[in-house]
Amino acid sequence: MLLSAIVFLPLIGAIVAALVPKDRAGIARWLATVVTAVDVVLVIFVVLRFDVGAGMQFVERAVWVPQLGISYHLGVDGISITMLLLSALLSLIAVVASWKMDTKPTTYFAMLLLLEVGMNGVFLALDFVLFYVFWELVLVPMYFLIGTWGGPRKEYASIKFFLYTLFGSVFMLVGIIALYLQTGTFDMTAMIGLGLPATFQWWVFAAFFLGFAVKVPIVPLHTWLPDAHVEAPTAASVLLAGILLKMGTYGFIRIALPILPHAAKQWAPFITALAAISIVYGAALAFAQTDLKKLVAYSSVSHMGFVMLGIASGTVEGLNGALAVMFSHGVVTGMLFLIVGMVYDRTHTRMIEDVSGLSSQVPVAGGLLAFASFASLGLPGLSGFVGEFLTLLGAWKSTVPAGWVVLAAVGVLLAAAYTLWMVQRVVLGTPSHAVADIPDLSVREIAILVPLVALTLTVGLYWNSLLRFTDPAVARIVALLAGA
Amino acid sequence: MGYVIAIPLLPALAFGVLAPLSNRARNAAIWVPVAAVCGSLLLSLAAFARVWPGGHEGEAVYRASAVFATLGSVNLHAGVLLDPISAVMLVVVTLVGAAVQVYSVGYMHRDERIGWYFAVLSLFTAAMLALVLSDNFLQLYMAWEVMGLCSYLLIGFWHEQEAPRKASLKAFLTTRVGDVGFVLGLAVMYATAGSFDFAVVLHGFTWVPATATAVSLLFLFGAIGKSAQVPLHVWLPDAMAGPTPASALIHAATMVAAGVFLVARALPIFQASGVALTVTMIVGVTTAIVGGLLAAVQHDIKKVLAYSTISQLGYMFFALGAGGIVAGIFHLMTHAFFKSLLFLGAGVIIHAAHTQDMREMGGLAKKMPVTTATFTIGSLALAGIFPFSGFWSKDEILTVLWTEGHYVVFALALAAAFVTAFYVARLWFRVFTGPEQTPELAEAHAEMLVPMGVLAAITAVIGFGSPYFARFLGHTGAWPEAGIALTSTAVAGLGLALGWCAYGRRTKVINTRPLKERAGFVYDALAMKLYFDLTYDYFIVKQYARLADALWAFDHTVIDGAVNGAGAIWKAGADVGALFDTYVIDGAVNGTATLVRAAGAKVRRIQVGRIQAYQGLMVGALVLLMLWFVVKGA
Repeated sequence: MLLSAIVFLPLIGAIVAALVPKDRAGIARWLATVVTAVDVVLVIFVVLRFDVGAGMQFVERAVWVPQLGISYHLGVDGISITMLLLSALLSLIAVVASWKMDTKPTTYFAMLLLLEVGMNGVFLALDFVLFYVFWELVLVPMYFLIGTWGGPRKEYASIKFFLYTLFGSVFMLVGIIALYLQTGTFDMTAMIGLGLPATFQWWVFAAFFLGFAVKVPIVPLHTWLPDAHVEAPTAASVLLAGILLKMGTYGFIRIALPILPHAAKQWAPFITALAAISIVYGAALAFAQTDLKKLVAYSSVSHMGFVMLGIASGTVEGLNGALAVMFSHGVVTGMLFLIVGMVYDRTHTRMIEDVSGLSSQVPVAGGLLAFASFASLGLPGLSGFVGEFLTLLGAWKSTVPAGWVVLAAVGVLLAAAYTLWMVQRVVLGTPSHAVADIPDLSVREIAILVPLVALTLTVGLYWNSLLRFTDPAVARIVALLAGA
Repeated sequence: MGYVIAIPLLPALAFGVLAPLSNRARNAAIWVPVAAVCGSLLLSLAAFARVWPGGHEGEAVYRASAVFATLGSVNLHAGVLLDPISAVMLVVVTLVGAAVQVYSVGYMHRDERIGWYFAVLSLFTAAMLALVLSDNFLQLYMAWEVMGLCSYLLIGFWHEQEAPRKASLKAFLTTRVGDVGFVLGLAVMYATAGSFDFAVVLHGFTWVPATATAVSLLFLFGAIGKSAQVPLHVWLPDAMAGPTPASALIHAATMVAAGVFLVARALPIFQASGVALTVTMIVGVTTAIVGGLLAAVQHDIKKVLAYSTISQLGYMFFALGAGGIVAGIFHLMTHAFFKSLLFLGAGVIIHAAHTQDMREMGGLAKKMPVTTATFTIGSLALAGIFPFSGFWSKDEILTVLWTEGHYVVFALALAAAFVTAFYVARLWFRVFTGPEQTPELAEAHAEMLVPMGVLAAITAVIGFGSPYFARFLGHTGAWPEAGIALTSTAVAGLGLALGWCAYGRRTKVINTRPLKERAGFVYDALAMKLYFDLTYDYFIVKQYARLADALWAFDHTVIDGAVNGAGAIWKAGADVGALFDTYVIDGAVNGTATLVRAAGAKVRRIQVGRIQAYQGLMVGALVLLMLWFVVKGA
């Protein structure tokens, strides 16, 4: 029941919030805070009770549509637990970050809660139909969050986001149906280790690849991302970068690798090439940006390339690294979007040329932005380094062409270039006109950043705080790949 | 022996205490880092005493490690390894660190962010100590990068000005170019040996020459960045934009020597390669000469010292390339003391003269006796004059080159020694002799002079420890051989003499002006820093920025254009379909016209219309589907 509670508690919250009278924003705000906070507590309870050595845990299973082999099936293992924690934590932070939301606040908080239902559900579902329902459910509130509470080009951005990801998930649906027709079940766990025919695997992998690649996003399927990020309100950007992108890479690790291991190996060189290109291309584009949010958006393309690099390697190091980048990117990019949002609230601009000298005028905001930047560029001791380094180790160890790994390693340098050039212009120097006289962060704003800072340091200094969950689960996937 | 772990932890804790404080509280708490580094110094001396009388490199007197990452069957460790080399480095780092911090109390006392300065200095010290104590290459690399952060923060300490801001970025990125190599070297090492631990990769693993070459050249590339060797030396002179005592610690004595330390640690792999040793030697000797020549044309006193550091680090590299680990590490140590001494002295001089330009200085000797005396000791050591420390370590390096048969490098090393002595004289005579150009020259305060005195005393006597040092590292030591010692002294003497002729107060026997006019192209090339910076700026930085802009244009015109184009075509198709619907199909079934047309209009609106319609449809269908499943299931 615990996992169901984690998934559906926000749904109840969303319904209640939607029913709150429009002029009682405070109620909706507090309701959303309490619901997401309770969810965090429940998830922490799961984390504490989690047995790292065992496989799928807290499993809930009920027959749903026996004629079609569909069941209500939830469970958590070392791959999903870090994502679940991130999803619950960022949801709470997103709510608190939106404290001053005054446009249709009740609907807004209902949407945030509905989004959490989908996100938690995606990471816990073990039945394909259930998985698909949650996957698509995520789109709806995110579409409205961008389209209603977004910036000037919100309509274009939201429709683009919606159609683009819908385009991807259609292919995923095809893959799911093909798997069902082949195996007669929608149960993900039952499809593992069946030794599906090689050609069949290849085509199904192709379908899943398109579905997940849009979500990650892998270059050249990425252009929805910058628009969606730039137009989305801060909280939506945090969840978009922190969680929604990870749904794609999670899909690769949860579904494509264990169920289609043979195809995964065949596809690995191609994915490695795209991953390395994404890393360098995203980094170069981030360097060219003049808008802070767009810079962070393109940096996400680059960082998610490292996740794909690790996944394609199929090694213990690479997959642990991929999961580490997923977690770290969620935390660090969350921080970056939050701080950029806080600066925007004060200066009403996100243009890099307009904002400078933050560290002199608002030392807390400037210092934390610099901290997040260094975590993002992969400074050892902070979380970003862990995954970046491990994916490079794994990729080098694997059979993928070494040239792509070298290109990916150059991405580490390029990351330092775009990040520090931003820091130099925005954080350092003398305060610009827009920055003069703005107040530093409030207690509420600091409070939502502190847990993220703590996670960045904990994971960065003691890698096993994260790897102890992922490593045993990764070992099982690597064994499946080796057997294929 | 558990106290060894406390050596890096004390300054780390000091940083942890200071970092979260408010600026005012931090400024009041600068005694915390000073106390921490003094504590580390005492513990380091105790550790050094414990290792005495020494033994072989890698022979642990104390070892401790803990797992911080588990990957399948592989464990990654954080650990400390106390062996002769790390014991030497501990003392060097904490001694210079303590001297610099005490000095900084005086030097930085008017700065409004002095607390932050001390916090970063403390983090740096912790990282450098974690680096020298590391028992594996991964931890070494991680500490290496944290030092890079501290270097960045201190170079850009006065970030309100443009020059420090630019220099800090340049330093971080240039060293990171090298780090790409280092990281790939680690990847090759891990893929080959399955470990980063010294015990495995240095002592327990047989390297095939090809992989050994790959690993060592990649490591060397990292070291070239960090230790400012040609062609990645360009960041170090600019790094002088930071506070001078920070330059003394980071950009003279310790961090820039980390590359040398890395090569020294990885020397068994370099030796398994063979080729890598030759490359190291070529890099080192090139840098020694280029750095020396560039130092000879600078007018900024700190830049002279910066290029001098580059040149002297080159000395250490070719020493290691010749297999002379004792000579290399000994020069690292003597250089750390005399160069930090020179930097601290330069700080006093800059404060007193209110300029960094040597052409605007002169006659400091009369008013600033302590500074003059200590600076002179440092200068003579740098020039390689007996009995000061630089003489001994340079002599050891020359001896290694001679006995190993590297005669060409030996000759080039002598040439570099000649240039070194020349620019030392050029600096010394310009600053301390001649007419006074600054009114109200005054000697510095005691907290600045005492650390300089300590470093000067060490520089004066430590050379005599040369044979014992070799024994401490497990090698046989010897006193200098007369032939080499006399040759190097003669060369250094000639260099000093030439400098005296050109820049001495009364002499000025040689007028440098006609030289500049006759060999103008040489002088211009040196004054333009041999065009390294211009080349990088134009061919790499500018071209990358252009490429990034071009890719950005490509992204939103071509790639996104394709996406939007597909969308437009889709919509056009839908419109055509709608027209077809209206005129062909509707026309054919004209009989039932009204009803169908009304329905058709509704469908069309859904097809091409607002996304909300899709939304409602999809959510509705989803809810119905779920309800149906639930009902059927129950």
